[in-house]
Amino acid sequence: MAAAFAAATFAFVCIQLAPGDPVTALGEGVPEAVRDRLRAVYGYDSSIGTQYIRWLAALLRGDFGFSTAQQRPALDVVLDALGNSLVIVLPGVALAMLFGMLLGAWQGIHAKTRGDRIVSTFMAALYAMPEFSLALILLLLFSVIWPVLPAGGMVDDMHAYYAPWKQVSDRVRHLVMPVLVIALVDAAALARYQRQSMRDVLDQPFVRAAYGAGLPSRLVRMQAWRASLLPVLTLLGILLPVNLLGVVFVEQAFAWPGLGLAFFNAINARDYAVVAACVIVEGVVIAIAGFAVELLREAADPRLRLHEADYQRGHG
Amino acid sequence: MCPEPRLHRVLHRRLTTLGCALASTLLAACGGSDAPASTASDTGGTLIVVVPAEPATLFPPQVIGTQGGAVISAIFDRLAEIGPALETYGDAGFQPRLARTWQWASDSLSIAFELDSAARWHDGAPVRAADVVYTFRAYTDDSIGADAKSLLGNIDSVTARDARTAVFWFKRRMPQQFYDATYPMHILPSHLLDTIPMSQVGRSAFARAPIGTGRFRFVRWDAGQRIEVMTDTANARGRAMLDRVIWTIAPDFGAATVRLFAGEADFLEMVRPENLPQLAQTPSLRMVMNPALSYNFVALNQRDPADTTKPHPVFGDSLVRRALAMGIDRTRLVRNVLDSLGAVALGPAPRALIPDTTAFTQLPYDVAAARALLDSAGWRDTDNDGVRDKNGRALAFDISVPNSSPTRQRFAVLLQEQYKALGVKASPVLLDINALIERNASLRFDSYLGGWATYPGLTGVRQTWMSTGESNEVRYRSRRFDAYADSALSSFDAAKSRGYWANAFQQAVNDVPALWLYEQRAPVVLHKRFIVPPLRPDGWYADLADWKVDPAQRIDRDRIGLGTAGAAR
Repeated sequence: MAAAFAAATFAFVCIQLAPGDPVTALGEGVPEAVRDRLRAVYGYDSSIGTQYIRWLAALLRGDFGFSTAQQRPALDVVLDALGNSLVIVLPGVALAMLFGMLLGAWQGIHAKTRGDRIVSTFMAALYAMPEFSLALILLLLFSVIWPVLPAGGMVDDMHAYYAPWKQVSDRVRHLVMPVLVIALVDAAALARYQRQSMRDVLDQPFVRAAYGAGLPSRLVRMQAWRASLLPVLTLLGILLPVNLLGVVFVEQAFAWPGLGLAFFNAINARDYAVVAACVIVEGVVIAIAGFAVELLREAADPRLRLHEADYQRGHG
Repeated sequence: MCPEPRLHRVLHRRLTTLGCALASTLLAACGGSDAPASTASDTGGTLIVVVPAEPATLFPPQVIGTQGGAVISAIFDRLAEIGPALETYGDAGFQPRLARTWQWASDSLSIAFELDSAARWHDGAPVRAADVVYTFRAYTDDSIGADAKSLLGNIDSVTARDARTAVFWFKRRMPQQFYDATYPMHILPSHLLDTIPMSQVGRSAFARAPIGTGRFRFVRWDAGQRIEVMTDTANARGRAMLDRVIWTIAPDFGAATVRLFAGEADFLEMVRPENLPQLAQTPSLRMVMNPALSYNFVALNQRDPADTTKPHPVFGDSLVRRALAMGIDRTRLVRNVLDSLGAVALGPAPRALIPDTTAFTQLPYDVAAARALLDSAGWRDTDNDGVRDKNGRALAFDISVPNSSPTRQRFAVLLQEQYKALGVKASPVLLDINALIERNASLRFDSYLGGWATYPGLTGVRQTWMSTGESNEVRYRSRRFDAYADSALSSFDAAKSRGYWANAFQQAVNDVPALWLYEQRAPVVLHKRFIVPPLRPDGWYADLADWKVDPAQRIDRDRIGLGTAGAAR
C-alpha cells in the first residue's frame, strides 16, 4: 500500500507538471473567462502544494477525489473500468497460459527441429506485432470481410432488449476478439520463456538421472515441465498487471471501456484524481498478483516452501 | 432583419392565436387527445450514432461539445426554438417550445413568456415559471461555470409573474435579446434541483440521469459504452418519430468506421476524405451535407511573445501580414487537403452566417505583389540563404498545430512549402492540445492553426475578434473593425446592419489578423433508411425528433418497438 501511495503521489505530481490542466483539456473554442471560472469551481487555481494537501486529506478519509472528465467519483470510474478490464484480461491471460506453456514446453522438448523453428518464427512475428495492428486485422477479417463477430463494445447496443439466452451469447461474442488478441500476444511471450526454461531443465542432472533410471519419458517430461515453470510464473505475475493498464490500444480498437483506456483518457484530460486512483488500484493489483504468483511458485516447486521453513527454523 | 417590436408583437400574437385555434379545431374533429397524432407507419425505428467520446455530464449548463449537446437537445427544451434560417434578430422565425406565446413590453426591455399549460416534465410534473427562474440562476451562477453565461450578459433578471408566466428583464434594448433569452438555455426542473446546493448540482444523480421535457426521455447511460433516449409518448408536442436513439462510443476513428460499415451503427458525424471511396461502394450508406458553423484560420499574434507590451517582430507590421495572406494560394491548399470537403474561409465567421458574402472582397493570390510588399517593408534576403531578413532577424515564425488534427498538420506542411517560395521560413510545431491552449492563453506563440465553432448569429465576433473580446487570442486591435461590428450588432435596421457587417469583414480581410484559411464541409454519414429534414448548421441533431425510418426499409432493430429494456425479443 505504501508503494502504491508513493506511486500515486509521483503520478499526481508528474501530471500536474505536464502542460495544461483539466480545463485546458476541454479543448479549443472555450473562452479563457470560462476556463478561469471552471478553474475556480474545481480549485485548480490553487498551487500544486495546496492541491496535493487537499487530495491527500481527502484520500485519508477514503475519498479518491472527483473525476472532472466524467463528473463522478474517481473511485467509481476506476472500479467500473477495472471490472471491465478483468473480463477480458483474466480469460486472455488464462488462454495465454494454457497455450503458451503447452506450446513452449513442446518446443523445449523438440528444440531445433523443423517444427520448433516454424512455431518459433510464428511466435516471434506474433510477439513483434503491435496489439493494435492485430486488433485491426481481426476486426477487418471477422467484422467486415466475414462479418461473424461484432465490431466493438462490451455488448450490442440493443443488448437490453434481447432475451436472456441471447444476452449471454451476445456477451460471449463480444469477448472473442479482445480476448483473442490478449491471448495471442501473451501466449507468444509465455511460449518463448517456457521454451527456454524447458530446455534448461531438460539439461539438468536430475532429468538425465531420471532417464537413466528408466523412468517413463512422459513422467520425466511432466516433472521437468513442473520444474521449468518458475520463470514462466514470474513472467505471469508481471503480465497480469501489465495487461490491466497496458492493453489500452486493444480497448480503444474494440471500444472496451477498461482500465487502460480510462487511464489513457484521464492523462489526456488531465483528470488528476482518476490518474492517481488508477495508479493506486494498479499498485494493489500488482501486490495481489505478486502474492498469487508466489503461491503458484511454491506449488510448482516444493523446494521453495522447504527453503522458507529451513530459513525460519534457522532464525527461530 | 429585425422587425419593429410592436408590429411584430401584434403579428405574432395573432398568428399564434390563429394557430392554436386551428390546432384545437383539428384535434377536436379527430376526437383526439392533446398530443398531435402520428400514423403508426410513420413512427418507430432505432438510430445508432457512433461517437468518439462520451460527454462529461448531461447537466445542460455544463455541457460542452457536440456529444453532450446532441443528447441534451433531445431530452430538454428551450422556451422557443430558433428557425432554420438561424435568424437572431428579434423573434423572427422562432417557434414556440415550452413557451406557447410571448409578449414584448412596450419599451422592449422585458419579454413575458407564457408557458404551455400542457407541458410536463418526464416525471409528470407540470412545467412552471419557477423552472425558468431557476434555469437562469443556474446558468449564471459562478459555481456552475456555464459556457453560455457569457451570452446572458444583457439579461438583468428573470422573474415569475405567475405560475405559468416568466418575465425576462434586459439591461438594454438589443436586436438579439430574444435570442439571448431563449437559445443559450435549456429549461431545468426546479422541483428536482432547487434543494441541491448550486455547487453540487452538477455532481448530482440528475447530471447522469436527467429528466427533461423534450420529445425524447432519458433511458440509460452505460459509462464508456452508450447513452440511450426513447421517445416520450406522452409529450405535449407529440412523440418523436423514432422509438429510440443510442449514442454508442467508439474511441478509435477506424473502429468507428468499421462499426458503421458493418451495419452496427447508422450515423457517423464526421467523415474523412480517405473514407469516401469505401462509402461510394457501400449502398446502404449515404452522405448528408452538414453545414457546420465553423471556420479555420492561421491566427497571427500581434504581440511579441517575449514581451507582450511590444508588437510582434513579424506580424506587428500590417504590410507583412498582407504579404503573407497574398502569398498563399488558399484555393489550392484547401483542394489538396480537403478535396471537395472544404471551402476557402472568407473572414472571421463561417459563410453561412455572413449576411452578404459578395459585399466585400478577398485579398488576391499574387506572389509578385506579396514579394513587393515584403521588399517595401524592409524584409530582403541579404545573406542569400533563401530566407528574408531585416536588421539581423530572419523572416521566420512558428505555426503551432495540435497533434490531434491530421487535417491541420497537412495544412501547416503545405503552408511551409508555399512560404518557402516567398523567402519566408514557417515552421510547423506539433503540440499536445493542452500545451497549445496554455501557450495561446499566455500569448507565447507566433501563430497557430486554429478554428472556431460558433453559435448562430454573429454575436460571437464580439468575443473572438473585437478589441475587448476575451477570446481575441491574437490581440487584434482595430477601432474601425470594432466600430463596424458594434454598429452591426446594435442596429435594428436590417439593411444598415448588413452594410456595417460588409465593412467589418472588409476591414478584417485587409488587416489580416489571421489568414482566413478554410471551412470544412463536414458531411455526416447516414444509413439510407432514414428520412431526415435538412440538417441545421448549429447542430445536426436539432430536429432529431422529426427523423423517420422508411417503413419499407426497416431492419430488425427498428421493429423492437417501445418495449422496456430486458423484455425478450
